[in-house]
Amino acid sequence: MEYRDSVSNSENENENKIKQLEKSVRILQKRLERSEADRKALEEASEIRDLLFTNVIRELEESQATLEKRGQELETALKNLKALQMKLIESEKMSALGVLVAGIAHEINNPVSFIYGNLYHASNYFESILNLINLYQYYYPEPIAAIEKEIESIELEFIKQDSLKLFESMNMGAERILEIVKSLRTFTRVDESDLKTANIDLGIDSTLLIVNNRLKPSTKFPQGIQVIRNGTLPTIECYPGQLNQVFINIIVNAIDALEDAVIKNPQLLPTITITTELVNEQAVIRIADNGLGISEKAQSQLFTPFFTTKDIGKGTGLGLSISYKIIFELHAGLLECHSQPGNGAEFVIIIPIKQAKC
Amino acid sequence: MLKVVVGHSEDPDSQGAIDEVLEQCFQDLMGMAPTAGILFAAIDFDHTMILEEILRVYPDIELIGCTTDGEMSSKLGFCQDSLTLMLFCSDTVEIHAGVGISASKNPDSAATSAVQQATVKRTAATKLCIALPTSYIGDGATANGEMLLKGLGNALGSEVPIIGGAAGDQSRAKTTYQFYGSKVLTDAIPILTFGGDVVFSFGAACGWRPLGRKSIITKACGNRLYEIDGISAVEFYQRYLGARLPSAENSLAVYEGDSERYYIRVPNSLENDGSIRLLADIPEQATVRLTGTSRDEIIASSLTSFQTALQNYSGNKIDAVLLFSCCCRRWLLGTRAKEEYEIIKNALPYSAPLSGFYSYGELAPLQLLGASYYHQETFVTLLIGTN
Repeated sequence: MEYRDSVSNSENENENKIKQLEKSVRILQKRLERSEADRKALEEASEIRDLLFTNVIRELEESQATLEKRGQELETALKNLKALQMKLIESEKMSALGVLVAGIAHEINNPVSFIYGNLYHASNYFESILNLINLYQYYYPEPIAAIEKEIESIELEFIKQDSLKLFESMNMGAERILEIVKSLRTFTRVDESDLKTANIDLGIDSTLLIVNNRLKPSTKFPQGIQVIRNGTLPTIECYPGQLNQVFINIIVNAIDALEDAVIKNPQLLPTITITTELVNEQAVIRIADNGLGISEKAQSQLFTPFFTTKDIGKGTGLGLSISYKIIFELHAGLLECHSQPGNGAEFVIIIPIKQAKC
Repeated sequence: MLKVVVGHSEDPDSQGAIDEVLEQCFQDLMGMAPTAGILFAAIDFDHTMILEEILRVYPDIELIGCTTDGEMSSKLGFCQDSLTLMLFCSDTVEIHAGVGISASKNPDSAATSAVQQATVKRTAATKLCIALPTSYIGDGATANGEMLLKGLGNALGSEVPIIGGAAGDQSRAKTTYQFYGSKVLTDAIPILTFGGDVVFSFGAACGWRPLGRKSIITKACGNRLYEIDGISAVEFYQRYLGARLPSAENSLAVYEGDSERYYIRVPNSLENDGSIRLLADIPEQATVRLTGTSRDEIIASSLTSFQTALQNYSGNKIDAVLLFSCCCRRWLLGTRAKEEYEIIKNALPYSAPLSGFYSYGELAPLQLLGASYYHQETFVTLLIGTN
């Protein structure tokens, strides 16, 4: 009986063990199947992730390149914007100055016209009165003592001789004022901001008149600055007011350069040579000085905004950059500088005589 | 009082597995009678037999469940091809089950029907709803999870959080099954509602982060994505994946308006016209980016989800922990998949019955008092107890 129970228990135990083993086998089999499937899925996922990251990196590289390009574009845009802003400021300044000068010129012009217009009559009247006095002296050679005394007192004979010169001098002065006023109006050209046909030589002459006080003999230039004008141009299509601004920028720079040159070489005869000529339907204006010239390094930056070789406070560094824009952008022309250090500098403006229509 | 027990078996034999699960539950119940249960089962089991067996032992329980893509429990930790059953016993917490069918054809009426069935039996207000909606309904077709969630929200009211996960089929993308009582259904939405003396909290976290540049969805309709940045959806993916087809792990981060907040949308199938069907709807003109993740980030987000839930838990004691994790997380974690469960187990202040599964879509609100969202690639933690 005990043996049977023992056998029965042993059989149950074995049966349980077999069941457990069968269960373990089932679980292991399932895990194996699953493991294989999961491994494949994971390998697939890994490959996809590799691809994804490779392409995201490529995309990032592209974005970086695009950003760099955009950065450069923005930098250029910023530079242009700054230059434009400066141009606007300068243009506003010039415009305001132009309005002011034109107003003053107008105000001076009227009273000077009265003076100039009446001088002729005043001269005639005075001449008539002198003739009358001469007649009196002829027919009454022995005047009374009081008149004799007054004639001596006012130095009548000197007045007779000097009055003609006096009127001539006054006439010349009035004419000079009228000329200056006319030049100021020509220079400012506030009414001529549009493209029109204009005489470039007149513009240059007006500019020279404006800067005349810097050309005259002075402590800096005991002999004055000699200006040589050569050639003429036909009327050309241009923005005359803007071109005058270019002329004055270049001429003032030449005067400044000559000042420095004379300090170094007092024997120098400072000279500005302005030549105008027509070459292949293009107006060529050369403005040259015999100063110290411009170094190669400075030449490379001449037209860069804010670049200046002048002392602080003397130059804005904008004159030539604005001039370049006026010639290059507004007139589709060229502004070049030729200089060899020690041998002066020559600025050459080349503009077509007819502007292309937009 | 709420007593929760868990049984778990990885025996591939259906009879062997359910016997083992029921035996474990029986021992832990210590004579108490369960009122409700949730069953998570791998796809290859004989589900009908398993349900009948459970109901034979506990004929009066409110039982729901679904097929999965991986299971986890406090009994065996993380398993695949296993069966886990969580049973609830309480005389103060009301738990009722309901189910809606034809979920793909009429999601709103299916959701309403499920809620009606569950709430008709209640005596206390519903405070929480666990839902295990269908995803694949046969031959790769899917139900619209978002519409089902919206239907549930309408039927339950905005104050009732809906938490759960969509049924899975071990990445076969063919047919998933849902359980309600002894019925094995497809294209259904079973739910379990909780009322009375129940306390709960939840947390959701993802771990996926956007990669690559931002793009705009230029053409989309419902869950069908036609164009991104003016090129077809397939071409967009080809930029990153070459000739390979997009899979669930190459999901899209969809940004909310101009903010940096985003939710995830997973590609499901490729159409002949170069469009891609997603597992949920996607809006036109939204900003999107491809996403990527690492295993560390996935594991870290699981802990974040749990910690969020724990911080918001106001009950005396955690009586049950339910976890819903996206199947993609499991694929990517590979041999580290078990760490999702382990990190939660270690973070629990004391041992508590835990059950969960890897799903095809996760349901949870984004905020404590907000509406529920249909998530993807997400880990959802639900803590349950009483006052």
